[in-house]
Amino acid sequence: MKISVNTEIALTYLSSRKKQTAVAAMGVMFGISMFIFMQSLMKGTNDYFEKSSFSTTAHIRLYSENKVADAHMLNNFLKDNSTKILTNPKQLKQSQGLTNPYGIIQNIRKNPQVVAVTPQVTANVIYASGSVNINGTVAGVSIDEEDKMFDVQSNMKEGDLHDLNRVNNGLLIGKGIADKLSLHVGDNITVRAGSGSPMIMRVVGIFATTIKQIDETKSYVNIVQAQNLLGKDRSYVTDIKINLADYNNAPKVAKDIETITGYKAEDWVQSNEQLKAAFKIRAIILNSVIGVILLVAGFGIYNILNMTIYEKIKEIAILKATGFSGKSVISIFLQQAVYIGLMGGIIGVIFGFLITFMVSKIYIGAGTLKYLPMSFYIPHYIEAVSFGILTTIAAGFFPARKASKVDPVTIIRG
Amino acid sequence: MENIALKTTNITKYFHDPVTIPVLKNISLEVKKGEFVSIVGKSGCGKSTLLYVLSTMDRDYEGELEINGVKVTGQSLNNLAAIRNESIGFVFQFHYLLPDFSCIKNVMIPGLKLGKFSPKEVEERAYEKLKMFGVEELALKKANKLSGGQQQRVAIARALINDPAIIMGDEPTGNLDSRNTGIVFDLFQKLSHEYGQTLITVTHDEDFAQRSDRIIEMADGEITNHGHK
Repeated sequence: MKISVNTEIALTYLSSRKKQTAVAAMGVMFGISMFIFMQSLMKGTNDYFEKSSFSTTAHIRLYSENKVADAHMLNNFLKDNSTKILTNPKQLKQSQGLTNPYGIIQNIRKNPQVVAVTPQVTANVIYASGSVNINGTVAGVSIDEEDKMFDVQSNMKEGDLHDLNRVNNGLLIGKGIADKLSLHVGDNITVRAGSGSPMIMRVVGIFATTIKQIDETKSYVNIVQAQNLLGKDRSYVTDIKINLADYNNAPKVAKDIETITGYKAEDWVQSNEQLKAAFKIRAIILNSVIGVILLVAGFGIYNILNMTIYEKIKEIAILKATGFSGKSVISIFLQQAVYIGLMGGIIGVIFGFLITFMVSKIYIGAGTLKYLPMSFYIPHYIEAVSFGILTTIAAGFFPARKASKVDPVTIIRG
Repeated sequence: MENIALKTTNITKYFHDPVTIPVLKNISLEVKKGEFVSIVGKSGCGKSTLLYVLSTMDRDYEGELEINGVKVTGQSLNNLAAIRNESIGFVFQFHYLLPDFSCIKNVMIPGLKLGKFSPKEVEERAYEKLKMFGVEELALKKANKLSGGQQQRVAIARALINDPAIIMGDEPTGNLDSRNTGIVFDLFQKLSHEYGQTLITVTHDEDFAQRSDRIIEMADGEITNHGHK
């Protein structure tokens, strides 16, 4: 391999002071491995919370919302150009159901971003067993599709969710309800919706999510049973849940769907604002910690190169006297910084992976979270190395420029 | 005029610290190719200062400097570095080798920088130069393991690696005993007489100066004797 003189000199300088080089590289290594570790932890945590939020929330939920009265009807009636002012406008009650839900579903399916659409009937109900009543909500769903969207199966504690299709009046209830009403699979329970007549349903399964509030209120029934419960016909649908290929597009797609259907389309960002805020705060904490680490590593390199330059000032003068230009001198010292960065970077990546791997095996056992959620995401490693090298270049540049400005005459003449 | 290696026209230089005083006053001189010139004078007469102006490293002067018929005054730093690399070899009073490198690497570095020959050829040439000065067996030793006389010989070998037109020495024998001084002088003479290289040395050593081809005497920043024979 042919290497330039500048490279050869840079490498000789590095290898002739191995200890300093190692210390500088170690600084970079710590910076980069911490960067990787923290990023992996954050992404793992974020992914975990996102996933757990998507286990109960669709990317987009379409439903009918009451609207504030506007001058629309008045305009239609008067047919003039005057400006109408409504004082103290009230909410107008809209029908709970969506009009022509299956037509809407057909329409939404045409959107290439949509991967799953499922109708749902939501009803506020009272669960009664013996003399105890509990308020809650029933979700009338097609359980197969629900399972596809939210992985209900993974939350099942007892029974089989597919029994919902087989047992006519089957019901999946949250563990909280089951505990409060002392229910087991196979038990019967009375469910009464506000406007409909009470129905006796049979518990075919018990589920537990990570969210206590849901476990204490929610149950699943077949969509037809929910319609019966409310005394409505087969076209009665209160919500349409939509999942996308990429949930980050949800806000935009939601807006499109809202315009097309005229109903309220709420994306997961709106319904999980606290989650987003938590992500942001975590990102800020993390980035400031990483920034400080890299800054310290950068100062380490800066210091070491600066010292090298003081020590080698005569040699720099000689190099310049024998025909090395300022650019060559910059190249010599900058290359040293880059090699330190590369060395630290490579070891840092390995070290970072090891730390991440080891921490991912730490058992914490909080709720459904058994191990610390760590993600192994290649771009983190690439980012880490690029940041590391950028820092070292920045840290190496100023000493290198100083070296390039050494005046050989003053140094050699003493 | 083709055989002029170096020419100055009215070079004047001031030192500004602590007060502005002239150190070189209207120096005009010519050095022919293949000449072995010694510049002598009392301490502080400006002879070293003149040498550094001639070397292109010191750019803070008035007047004009030509090397091999090319005007050097006013050229960019990068060009000057290239000119030094190719046409000027330096020998300093203190040997100034790069201590982390072996002797042969020290000699090779300016040659590798020039890039006229392949690294392999540069290495061969470097070895030849070391042989010329009888230090070839030290080739692989680190520079900081050598005695003063050996270091100076390696340093001279380094100055010659690119076959420069002009070799400049600032008290090249100032730190050597008489035996080593003799060796260095013989080498210089050989270079100028056999290889046609121009040598300009600043020296305090009367003996050394007397044996060179031409002595330029300086006093108070002026040339008092051009030494033309």
